[in-house]
Amino acid sequence: MATRDDIETYIDRIALGDRDAFAALYNATSAKLFGVTLRVLNNRAEADDALQEVYIKVWRAADRYQSNGLSPMTWLITITRNHAIDRLRRRKKGQAGLDEVAELADPSLGPEAQAIASSQRAQINDCLDELPADRAEAVRRAYLDGDTYQDLADLMQVPLNTIRTWLRRSLIKLKDCLSQ
Amino acid sequence: MTDDHTDDAPLSAAAEYALGLLTPPEARAFEAEMNRDIALRAELVLWQEHLVSLTDSIAPVTPPAKTYQAIAARLFGAPQKRWSLTSLLAGAVSAVAFAIAVGFVILPAPNPSANDLIAGLVGEDVGLRVNATFDPDTNTLALERVAGGPAAGRVLEMWLIAGNDAPVSLGLLPEGPTGRVQIPPQMATLIAGGLLALSDEPPGGSPTGAPTGAVVAAAPFSTI
Repeated sequence: MATRDDIETYIDRIALGDRDAFAALYNATSAKLFGVTLRVLNNRAEADDALQEVYIKVWRAADRYQSNGLSPMTWLITITRNHAIDRLRRRKKGQAGLDEVAELADPSLGPEAQAIASSQRAQINDCLDELPADRAEAVRRAYLDGDTYQDLADLMQVPLNTIRTWLRRSLIKLKDCLSQ
Repeated sequence: MTDDHTDDAPLSAAAEYALGLLTPPEARAFEAEMNRDIALRAELVLWQEHLVSLTDSIAPVTPPAKTYQAIAARLFGAPQKRWSLTSLLAGAVSAVAFAIAVGFVILPAPNPSANDLIAGLVGEDVGLRVNATFDPDTNTLALERVAGGPAAGRVLEMWLIAGNDAPVSLGLLPEGPTGRVQIPPQMATLIAGGLLALSDEPPGGSPTGAPTGAVVAAAPFSTI
């Protein structure tokens, strides 16, 4: 198993154009990322194509990794999730792009922020459990299925503004729980 | 951002942005705001780190073997292969001519038994000498690295080439000076008359299922 440091080193070397590091990163991470594209797209051919596009994006955006403040697997999975959901939404209708995580030029965060980030992993399921079940489900559907407010309003058969208010309140509660 | 946001807006806008719930104009406005405000960026990072845990339960699935080649072709143009044993072996090029071309000598293996098959691999360019002895009674391949080894940060992968078939990986050359590899029965039958080759590969071995780096040594298996 490649460690976090290994993956960070691969990304640093990819930023310098190192193809061997790119192959090593692919070896270490492609099964997880393919799992994610398959989960979101639920279609093997499309998931395979999305995976190819994700790694092309990673090759091109590696030089911007250091400044974005995310742990390396979060960066990779977020690019993958956003790209897969973009495809899913394009399949449904003309929807907004989420792909900016790879492209944004960001002010750098210190290592403290990264340490906090990684130490709080996996709390989110516990915190979601504290929300009403339908609100927790709405958050999961937004993240893993790319549901929009309109999709959620249709699904739950409530007006758009109602779902927006519900979900924003839920996210504030979630934030409180996550920061405890 | 728009007027209907409360004081909680930066908090929930980061969350909504991470979830992809903002409309495109809202998302662009959030990005512009975030590039001026490091606290907002930190907020987004925290949400992304938390939300990514929702993928923890997604099981890894090995992608198809050809996927990496497709990515390399799209990024780097031609397939990344710097050598192709199958093409070298195609047509009139015999195994012997091939072996002479890459340069090998057959070296004696230590204390071989009568039915063992031996391949002595010499990679002159890289100062590598490896003796391989296959015992058909146990289907084990014993490897002795007499000199040299993989380049820094690289590994050597063993390939069996039978006839004009594509190379089949036998795994990585053991790291120690000696080691043993168990060969599956269906592959063991291909060793007599086959070639053993070593290729230079990234850590973990070839990501494609075919050799991706230079062949550094190759030799046929033969009886003593």
